[in-house]
Amino acid sequence: MLDGLKTAATGMIAQQRRIDALSNDIANVNTTGYKRDRVAFNDLVATEPGLGGAQTVRVGAGVAVSAAGRGTGQGALLTTGQPLDVAIAGDGYLQVKTADGRVALTRDGSLHADASGRLTTSSGALLQPPITLPRGVSAKELTINPDGTLVAEGKPIGRMALVNVVAPSNLDDAGSGLYMTNAGSGPPRLAGTDTTLVQGALESSNVDIGDAMVDLIDAQRSFQMASQAVKTQDQMLSIANGLKS
Amino acid sequence: MSRPITPPMERGLYIAASGMLAEQVRQDLISHDLANASTPGYKPDRVASRSFGELLLSDTHSGRPIGGLGLGTRIETQVIDMSAGPVHETDEPLDFAVEGDGFFAVRTAGGVRYTRDGQFSVSAKGALVTAAGDAVLGSDGAPVKVGAGGTVAPGAIGVVALDVPRREGDNLFTGTARGAAPGTVRAGALEGSAVDPVSTMVDMIGSLRTFEAGQRVITTIDGTLQKAANQVGSI
Repeated sequence: MLDGLKTAATGMIAQQRRIDALSNDIANVNTTGYKRDRVAFNDLVATEPGLGGAQTVRVGAGVAVSAAGRGTGQGALLTTGQPLDVAIAGDGYLQVKTADGRVALTRDGSLHADASGRLTTSSGALLQPPITLPRGVSAKELTINPDGTLVAEGKPIGRMALVNVVAPSNLDDAGSGLYMTNAGSGPPRLAGTDTTLVQGALESSNVDIGDAMVDLIDAQRSFQMASQAVKTQDQMLSIANGLKS
Repeated sequence: MSRPITPPMERGLYIAASGMLAEQVRQDLISHDLANASTPGYKPDRVASRSFGELLLSDTHSGRPIGGLGLGTRIETQVIDMSAGPVHETDEPLDFAVEGDGFFAVRTAGGVRYTRDGQFSVSAKGALVTAAGDAVLGSDGAPVKVGAGGTVAPGAIGVVALDVPRREGDNLFTGTARGAAPGTVRAGALEGSAVDPVSTMVDMIGSLRTFEAGQRVITTIDGTLQKAANQVGSI
């Protein structure tokens, strides 16, 4: 008898998860290389009704919500004029090594040179394979070609690895704009030639604030409807309790 | 002449109770619809209740027939409303919507199933899969491969017509496939849930009040029975 109450509650839980994802998107509307969070909804297995329905009638048990990876849309490229800013145009990631030694992927191309001239991302992860600016070469004299090769004073000094995976939606989100590969995503491999680097630009977040706000309103109203369903189920139980006065 | 059936008073109790049980099932179905207000490709239920067989009542003295009496009700038929939901652009290359009639076919562990939810992704092996990881089948019945650029031509995905679709959960339907359907596939878009919030909320209120009315009928009969038990025969 309490099944209906739980069915209605699954709707509230699902919309709550959607609101969480949208809040995260809106908070990251200015985060370099951020990709919007996606959720998937699935209706739950239908069962036979109790005494009130025929055996052929199937009553569903609500909805399940799960993560559906990240949106893949390209964010707008913002020109910054900074020589160590790179934006990725097309699919793919820069490969970095985090402080704890794990290899991760990122689209955040806001690079810096650390004290010893090694190029790191804004979160401090070193490019993988590592690239070190030669002594005496300042960042301003550095040219980064679309294929990722770095040229200083007319001499190549290294090449940034532009990689991609077969199933980007399965990448693990490690926070700070970093993604980890796993068995579901496939190993990193070199990105195709249509993926290029743009020096002096950053990729902005691919969150469209207008779309996100409309979705937020939709999610909020759907949450309210599901809560009304919970309330109605509760009222019915109360009415049933009133049978014996 | 056959012996007339004495109408027992409590019969009304069971009739009213059956109405309450039916409304409970209806309310569970409405809750399921509202919970799936954002599920891509979700189709709401349309149900109809039917009364059990009727009993012919007759006058206890003369045996003259009075008329039929329903013995209660239950939710008898359930039809999935296949009206199209709103299609909206998502700009995700692996989101697909069927415009017009038809279903995507997917290969699950339990056999081929059908869905209108086109929120697909790519597997580590490069195949087009559903959120549950089931392979999406092409017009030739073979799993669809995702191209090098991470896209799939909409025409490569099969659209199948289905006879009497039945809900199975997980956004999947079962049924008998009848070959290709006239619907076309659109990439970068998803079909939203076809639940109409307004009419569903109105149904919810209506069902609640019907349930309440059933309770009133039972308490009224209960009151009458109480009078019969305690006052009839007392001096």
